[in-house]
Amino acid sequence: MTYRLNFVLWRVRWVIQRLVVYFLWWAIFSQREELFGYTQSAMLTYILLSSIIGTIVLGTTTMSIGNMINTGELSNFLIRPLSFFRYFIARDVGDKLMNLAFSTVEVLLLFVLLRPPIIVPTNPLIWVWFVVAIAIGVVMYFLFSFLLGILGFWSADIWAPRFLSFVMMEFFAGGLFPLDILPTPLFALSQSLPFSYFLFFPLKVYLGQLNSAGAIQGLMIGLLWCIGLWCLMQTMWKKGLRVYTAEGR
Amino acid sequence: MYIRQRAGKSMKHIGKYIHLWTKLTVNSFLVSLTSRLSAILFFIGKLLRFVFFGVFLIVLFSKTQGIADYTLMQGIFFFLTFNLIDTATQLFFREVYRFRQLVVSGDFDLVLIKPMNPLFRALVGGADPLDLLMLIPYVWALIFVGRRVGDITVTNATIYGLLLANGFIIATGFHILVLALAIVTTEIDHAIMIYRDVTSMGRLPIDIYREPLRSILTFVVPVGVMMTFPAKALFGFLSPGLIAMSLLVGGLFFLLSIRVWKYALTKYASASS
Repeated sequence: MTYRLNFVLWRVRWVIQRLVVYFLWWAIFSQREELFGYTQSAMLTYILLSSIIGTIVLGTTTMSIGNMINTGELSNFLIRPLSFFRYFIARDVGDKLMNLAFSTVEVLLLFVLLRPPIIVPTNPLIWVWFVVAIAIGVVMYFLFSFLLGILGFWSADIWAPRFLSFVMMEFFAGGLFPLDILPTPLFALSQSLPFSYFLFFPLKVYLGQLNSAGAIQGLMIGLLWCIGLWCLMQTMWKKGLRVYTAEGR
Repeated sequence: MYIRQRAGKSMKHIGKYIHLWTKLTVNSFLVSLTSRLSAILFFIGKLLRFVFFGVFLIVLFSKTQGIADYTLMQGIFFFLTFNLIDTATQLFFREVYRFRQLVVSGDFDLVLIKPMNPLFRALVGGADPLDLLMLIPYVWALIFVGRRVGDITVTNATIYGLLLANGFIIATGFHILVLALAIVTTEIDHAIMIYRDVTSMGRLPIDIYREPLRSILTFVVPVGVMMTFPAKALFGFLSPGLIAMSLLVGGLFFLLSIRVWKYALTKYASASS
């Protein structure tokens, strides 16, 4: 809260980003009732809900890891009796809670102002799958972002790979549009990447567009991604520590 | 004699700034290209972002058989025009993204004491070579798509060029306002990104948006004048009245931004220096 205006502008930016996508789809649906198999209410629910899920799944503090390695600040953590990994989990929980609190208020405000037609599932099972899908997305993105940070052990250029991953994620996570509107080959490609489990999969579960078998299959694949990313992260962390020179200290 | 002397002085002045800009730009290019791998990855990222949104547009226009009476080719042309203005702006004004650090550290003092316009240094002091590279495919694609959008007259093409320049002037005005905000508040990290988010609505013609958003994007935050009007003029869809209004908006907005900048300079507190 030291820089209050900056904080306010950050939140204003968050709202504007949501509004840009919302208004785009709102405009597209002004001329038709249904498109790509989505009704207006399904699409607007998808877009607005992706904002809230985005703050839970994609909000992270792990972006600073690369810089900590490059400046040698990591040494301060290595000598302390605390797990670097758990430290970031704790920080992320705090960060996500703050994001969630603000974004919920902002989205509620948007609901009051825009009065969009929203779908709310009545089946409790959908809610259970939905929460599990978000939890998997949170773990996956945390590990993915942590991995990008670890690249700092081998390179000082940590922002370029992250920028590239942002661009990939922007498209393949499904924040701008549901991925199943894409041509079949591109959709198949999106499903082979981890990004679709960040936003698209939880939202499909929420909209009830996946049957139980589809939801369970998606959750299992997500879980496998988590295990794979965890193993990769552990290996890279250990290898990284061997080459770490505490440069800058 | 007096007029000739003034003209000679002005030319010398312009020559000095061209020389300065070249020096600053070469330095910025050298810094940006220090890490080739990083530069390549950033370039690929920018290219992918362009391709991805292009794919989305093609999917959207193909499925809807056109949006707001615009064809697929026209939709792509709007998107390319947006990219041209946006990228040219980033190419020249990348330094704006780094300006806050100059203000909060007090290093802006060092800019103020130099015999050079501080706005010049803050605005165009660090061009981005990657955006220069990105302009190549954009211009090529614009020409390629432009030949397929229909009959284009020389007059409309000239007005398109004129309104492109006008869009660039409005974008310049926005960047100057962000710089002024940095001086007054020292908190602009998100201000420039808000500008980019709002202008991103111009990736598609603003005619597709519903009222009152459309009017806001035309008259309040002139994204439509910047991004949509040039392409509309090329297609012959813009009335002479709106063309004149666009130029007036561009000119007035730029003058306003200069006034705000001058006011902001009087509030510079030289913090931390």
